Amino acid sequence: MAILARRGRPENKHAAAGYMFVAPFMIVFAAMFIAPLAYAAYLSLYSSRLVGGTVFVGLQNYTQALQDRQFLSGLERIALFFLIQVPIMIVLATFFALVLDSGRLRAPRVFRIAFFVPYAVPAVVAALMWGYLYGAKFGPFVQIAHDLGTAPPQFLTSGHLLPSVANIVTWEFAGYNMIILYAALLTIPPDLYEAASIDGAGPIKTALRIKLPLLRPALGVILLFSVIGAFQLFNEPQVLQPAAGSVITPAWTPNLYAYNLAFTDQRLNYAAAVSFLLGFIILIATYLVLILGRLRRRST
Amino acid sequence: MTITTPRRTKEREDLAGRVPPSSIRGRGWLPTIIMIAFFVYFMIPLAWLVIASTKNNADLFSTFGFWFSHHFNLFTNIHAVFAYSNGVFLRWMLNSLIYALVSAAGASFLATAAGYGFAKYQFPAKGLLLGVVLGAIAVPTTALAIPTYLLFSKIGIVNTPWAIILPSLINPIGVFLMSVYARDAIPDSLIESGRLDGASDIGIFLRIGLRMLVPGLITVFLFSLVSTWNNYFLPLVMLNNPKLYPITVGLAQLNATANNGGGSQALFSVVVTGSLLSIIPLIAAFLLLQRFWQSGLSAGAVK
Amino acid sequence: MNTGQPGSSAAPSRRQFLAGGSAVAAAGLLAACGGSSGGTPKVAKSVNPSAMARALSKPTQLTFWTWVPNIASEVALFEKKYPKIKVNVVNAGQGLAEYTKLRTALKAGTGAPDVVQIEYSYVPTFTFTNNLIDLGPYGANDLKDDFVPWTWGQVSKGDKVYAIPQDTGPIGMLYRKDVFDRYGVTVPATWEEFAAAGTKLHQKNPSISMTNFANNDAGQTFGYAWQAGARPFALKGTGLTVDINGPDMQKMANFWSPLVDSGAVSTDPDFDTDWYAALTNGTYATWVTAAWAPVFLQSSAAKSAGKWRVAPMPQWASGADVSGNWGGSTSAVTNQTKNPEAAAALAMFLNHDPASSMLMASKQFLFPPLKQTLADPAFVGLKPSFYGGQKVNALFAEISKTVLTNFQWSPFNDYVTSSNNQIFGGALIAKKPLSAALDTWQASVTNYAKQQGFAVTK
Repeated sequence: MAILARRGRPENKHAAAGYMFVAPFMIVFAAMFIAPLAYAAYLSLYSSRLVGGTVFVGLQNYTQALQDRQFLSGLERIALFFLIQVPIMIVLATFFALVLDSGRLRAPRVFRIAFFVPYAVPAVVAALMWGYLYGAKFGPFVQIAHDLGTAPPQFLTSGHLLPSVANIVTWEFAGYNMIILYAALLTIPPDLYEAASIDGAGPIKTALRIKLPLLRPALGVILLFSVIGAFQLFNEPQVLQPAAGSVITPAWTPNLYAYNLAFTDQRLNYAAAVSFLLGFIILIATYLVLILGRLRRRST
Repeated sequence: MTITTPRRTKEREDLAGRVPPSSIRGRGWLPTIIMIAFFVYFMIPLAWLVIASTKNNADLFSTFGFWFSHHFNLFTNIHAVFAYSNGVFLRWMLNSLIYALVSAAGASFLATAAGYGFAKYQFPAKGLLLGVVLGAIAVPTTALAIPTYLLFSKIGIVNTPWAIILPSLINPIGVFLMSVYARDAIPDSLIESGRLDGASDIGIFLRIGLRMLVPGLITVFLFSLVSTWNNYFLPLVMLNNPKLYPITVGLAQLNATANNGGGSQALFSVVVTGSLLSIIPLIAAFLLLQRFWQSGLSAGAVK
Repeated sequence: MNTGQPGSSAAPSRRQFLAGGSAVAAAGLLAACGGSSGGTPKVAKSVNPSAMARALSKPTQLTFWTWVPNIASEVALFEKKYPKIKVNVVNAGQGLAEYTKLRTALKAGTGAPDVVQIEYSYVPTFTFTNNLIDLGPYGANDLKDDFVPWTWGQVSKGDKVYAIPQDTGPIGMLYRKDVFDRYGVTVPATWEEFAAAGTKLHQKNPSISMTNFANNDAGQTFGYAWQAGARPFALKGTGLTVDINGPDMQKMANFWSPLVDSGAVSTDPDFDTDWYAALTNGTYATWVTAAWAPVFLQSSAAKSAGKWRVAPMPQWASGADVSGNWGGSTSAVTNQTKNPEAAAALAMFLNHDPASSMLMASKQFLFPPLKQTLADPAFVGLKPSFYGGQKVNALFAEISKTVLTNFQWSPFNDYVTSSNNQIFGGALIAKKPLSAALDTWQASVTNYAKQQGFAVTK
């Protein structure tokens, strides 16, 4: 009954005002995003060739993409990336946030800003720095290994490339996620801690029993963003490509594949179909994550 | 769950800085060591960047990456950066600044208004609209850049700043953030009493709501700022005139030129030093706006 | 975005057939272009000379996309000659970056420049889609004999000229004299000698390689193939012959495979920081590369000054004298130009005017395709100390004459370049048999061509 009352007619008196507030955003959104998207969707139903021009092919591009081994292997790689990089990054971010919040760290502000700074670095510059650091012949780590007499690390070989890219992404975003979690920790009422310390709980117990559970919503949010980010992986492999040569194939990630289809292969229509397919898959993935989150919450 | 006002957050922060009354002194060294280790990890590439910026082109390739060379070239390099191609670097920085500031201002305002509308009002198809907005985050736009270009070309905004600014006004995550923030920060009662006083909806928003939304707005502003400043792909596709490039595209082009011989110009040192200079403004912005985005985030993070 | 000023109407209406007096027309055009006459003028459709002169003295704005640094100096010479024409020089990116923008603008129907720098390898890609206009009517054919013949073949089809050669990259061999002396290596004249020297060198010092075959450089792959006599592509209308795994390419691949396997030849990506360091430190004993390399080394491997020398490219047959080309650009005019006369004049002047050509050779160190500059003592006589006082330009000028003609590029060079990096380059890195890689590459390109609608033959 209460729910109905909230959504009852008296509210709809102001529906026009509601539209008014969201209108500016929605108009720009429609023009700058929906319109190009619709046009791209339209294009994805065609196929154009250097010889013969453009023809309507319906959903053929989509069925082709679903059987495209390059697309599928890129998808596999991204799924692997997601399963490895995201948990590590989230665990790190959580650890950092908890330590920051523990009160046991000297100069927490320094750590806070230092860990956050990589987020401010554009991917172009990050790849420049890491491209050099990963250098197989004259990168500093190789130099150090040489001096120590150990085998030089091979960051940019096909076996190690995924972890190397995962490292760059973690470097870029761990601090950002830490800040979000830390901010959430700050909102926990201090009385909860006092109650816990009266009960004799040490810092670790406090962290695990009180802070972590209360962090769940924030963790959910950053998990969602990380899912989307992982599946859309493009910037880092793209900028590393010159240094890593043929190890980063044109279809290394599905997003990279779509890009190369459009810009290198001149297959604009197929590229659009691949993009939409990827977007659809991402939507499914985020939906799954949301559902799993809700199931977890209900079971505790 | 309710929102914490900025003052309470600051209290909590101060509390975090104090050693808690119950005994656990001296057992904090392990986390501290780990944090220091990660501090080094996060700073390593930047340290390399700073050190490399002090080297001249020849030394860049023949000295150890993490230590300085015998020649201290930082100021020569900085001069070379600003002198390159008739001072186009400064132009690039200014472009980035303008694009980022205008876009962030517009984006945060649009997101705030929309978030407020979604949070405080009910209207038909509201769920659908919000769903579409959030769903937009999921679609990768890299390959859609060409259709976007073709469309923009028809309305004639290609190769102008509008091709960068207009798309950057859309921040779906900002809308989501602000809707959560508005839901918690502005009690319905306040709006009701405003209405009883005879104020219009816009009046209530501008006079009462906006003030309470400031921390969230600044958060969205900062994130939009970062996102537009760091945007590489959109300006790459939309702009053909180097005078309009933001710093990301300019640096990438400079790097490509250096890599491909640079026409016998010794450009690597310019690229490295230019990269260093390009990240300073954003870091400065972070430091200055620290207080605001902390509290803004603390609300949005709590669903 | 620059669009031409009103005043000159569109190109097609300007083309008029000359009933007679072609000599007069030719002379008039030559006077307008400022070049010296070579062979006899031909009868062809061309723009009436007075109409051309009129167009060139109308206030005009041209946009010129190029990545040649400081080309403003050469452009200034042009503007001095044609004071009513203003040229807006724009660096829209280098190589592929520029071509991507160019293609998008061409597709959109607006935003493309009047004149654009295009490498030889990409000219067919843009002529196939009819995006470059024929410069013949504006007098380009009269310039033919002033250019080294194989360069003209790269930009023309019959008497249709789609671009004017700007610079070239005939291949020679740069070697480290100090490394050769230290390990007792004599300068190889044939590939056989090269292989023997490389094996010996690598045995004596395993951390050095004889040379680097980049795994990400189609220019290098095809440059070497060019010298070997390979003709991987031949386009006739919409029929494309793809012969990437033909006998000449196989010969080249089979030569390099054992050297790569043993480590005598390294396969690092080129033009990155590691590679520059290797050149500086003598980790690569030679660099079998194009004429633009000497000057380029002078800035990026400055610490190795005085240690390099230049020799001709190793030959397949003893006593032969044949080379290939790696890189080099042209100036072309796009079909979006509203001022074809002025644009054509700019393209022709920049690359054909002796003063401009000499300036490009001495200031930007672009290796000239113009016979006059190649014979100019000021150019040929240079003895850079970086090469121990050797007359580097003279040597490359000779090599330039030996580049094989009739090498053709595909009409989709983006794809070919990318697949080179993936397939051929991938095999180089993984030390897999290069000959098998050629087969895979052949199949890949054939598939792509068929998918794009070409009638593909082998």
